[in-house]
Amino acid sequence: MDATYIQKNINQLKTNIFMHVRHRTLLQYTGEPVLNEEQLFYLLLPFFNGENWNDKMDKSIITVGIVHSSLSEHEKIHELDATSKEQQLTVLSGDYYSGRYYQILAESGNIPLIRKISEGIVHRCEQQVRVYENKSYTFRQWLESLTVIETALIKSFYTAYNFNQYLPIVENCLLLLRLNEEDKKHKNGETSPIYQLMVDSSVQHEEPFERLILREIDTLTTNLLDYLQTSTFLHDDLKQYIKQKVLFSQK
Amino acid sequence: MEKMKLKMLYSDLKSDIDVIEKELETALNSSSHMINDASLHLLQAGGKRIRPVFVLVSAKFGQYNIDQMKNIAVPLELIHMGSLVHDDVIDDSDMRRGRRTVKAQTNNRVAMYTGDFIFARALEYVTSIENPRVHQILARTMVEIVNGEVIQIEDKFRVDQNLKDYFRRIKRKTALLIESSCELGAVAAGVDPKNVRHLKQFGYYVGMSFQIVDDILDFVSTDRQLGKPAGSDLLHGNITLPIILLKDDPTIQRFIQRAEHGFVTEEERMAMLEVVRKSDAIKEAVKISNLYLKKAMKEVEALPNNPMKKKLRDIALFIGKRKF
Repeated sequence: MDATYIQKNINQLKTNIFMHVRHRTLLQYTGEPVLNEEQLFYLLLPFFNGENWNDKMDKSIITVGIVHSSLSEHEKIHELDATSKEQQLTVLSGDYYSGRYYQILAESGNIPLIRKISEGIVHRCEQQVRVYENKSYTFRQWLESLTVIETALIKSFYTAYNFNQYLPIVENCLLLLRLNEEDKKHKNGETSPIYQLMVDSSVQHEEPFERLILREIDTLTTNLLDYLQTSTFLHDDLKQYIKQKVLFSQK
Repeated sequence: MEKMKLKMLYSDLKSDIDVIEKELETALNSSSHMINDASLHLLQAGGKRIRPVFVLVSAKFGQYNIDQMKNIAVPLELIHMGSLVHDDVIDDSDMRRGRRTVKAQTNNRVAMYTGDFIFARALEYVTSIENPRVHQILARTMVEIVNGEVIQIEDKFRVDQNLKDYFRRIKRKTALLIESSCELGAVAAGVDPKNVRHLKQFGYYVGMSFQIVDDILDFVSTDRQLGKPAGSDLLHGNITLPIILLKDDPTIQRFIQRAEHGFVTEEERMAMLEVVRKSDAIKEAVKISNLYLKKAMKEVEALPNNPMKKKLRDIALFIGKRKF
């Protein structure tokens, strides 16, 4: 298995997701759904690793991808002014995608996955709203929030199909990728609200934020590399692929 | 006063409605105090709870069991609540039922998270029902409601709408969820297919009447009764039945043009309301609503003898004559 094969499968998954949520008006005003290829890769990870795979699982990862795009649409809503037609339709595109995921799983009778995904959405929303709460959280708690935001829905899929052994790697990788991305933006003066709160929370620590985050990134990278080195269930080519991805994101 | 009348209508279902209220409270419980506050605020705003009531009443035509029915009634009310939270973002509404909306209390983003949380809780709840048909009906309803809202946005300030456009829109916007409440209650209680159809059709007709009355009330009620400015629908560009019946009136045409550009003054709003209130459009709209009610009553007639038949008639009549 090489990077081309992996990318081909990710592209196919993207196409399948687009096909299932195609809506003329929404497409015209809000564009194609937003999809994060890293998250799609981790949805496909058990498949790449040769786990028993079937049509039901194919459909399941399409729906998890749809839910990711539903919530991403709602992330595009401006805090104070959503009065433009594009913004109004963006609210509805998120709702439409959410209805479509439910419809697809209802048609195939996959009620357990509906339950798992719903639990994942609840958990993710509870973490996302923390940004607006009038309560201070520690640096560590913000890291936990970011982990949930990045992985809650993938976790729903893994739990539904007993792929829990992949969870530590996903949590580690997606948090690491997010921190690298946030850090780059921060250095370019485009700090996101959640990252700003992490910066603010670092005053409780003796170390400056820059050192704190660097140490966290280093620890996550070391843990991941150790995990990849010692894990016995993951194919070597996949280990190599993940390693390269993570190291590349730090450049 | 009106709420009292409604409570009287539900009086023999009171203990079961109390179960629903309690379950709603449990379902909305969150580890986030912000979502908790927003949800509590929504619960306290009350609402007529007509969707849960239709689930319960329809289920009484079959094997009624409140422990099972609550798993349908609660999600339906939650879906209604969640869509109101998102609608207030779309409509930029600060007030609903005389209370500040979630988005006005916090911001649009928190309202999005709260709505998504409520939708997810609704689905989490309904998954205790294994029957795939229940999920298929509910999922289709959710998708169609959004389609209706997309059409509503596309139709904003579009004066060349006809009655068919309007009926198609309100069917998806409102009637479908009420139709599904009746259908789902009946399906889950094992009512025979013929009577499921009658109950479903009843819900559809009542839902149509309900929305038409809502659209009339937006013009004939006071700001205080509505908890928001009268005529808000038209201010937001929603062309409802009274306006479709009056669309050639020059005052109305001018008002729509000015509203589209956000130039409406308070005097102009009052003048528009006076034109609508004094016209025959309101009477015509009431007539159309009554036609739907009549059709709803015919569906009730076709149902087998059951004390709930009277309840369905009474609720339908209340909806058609309500003043809030």
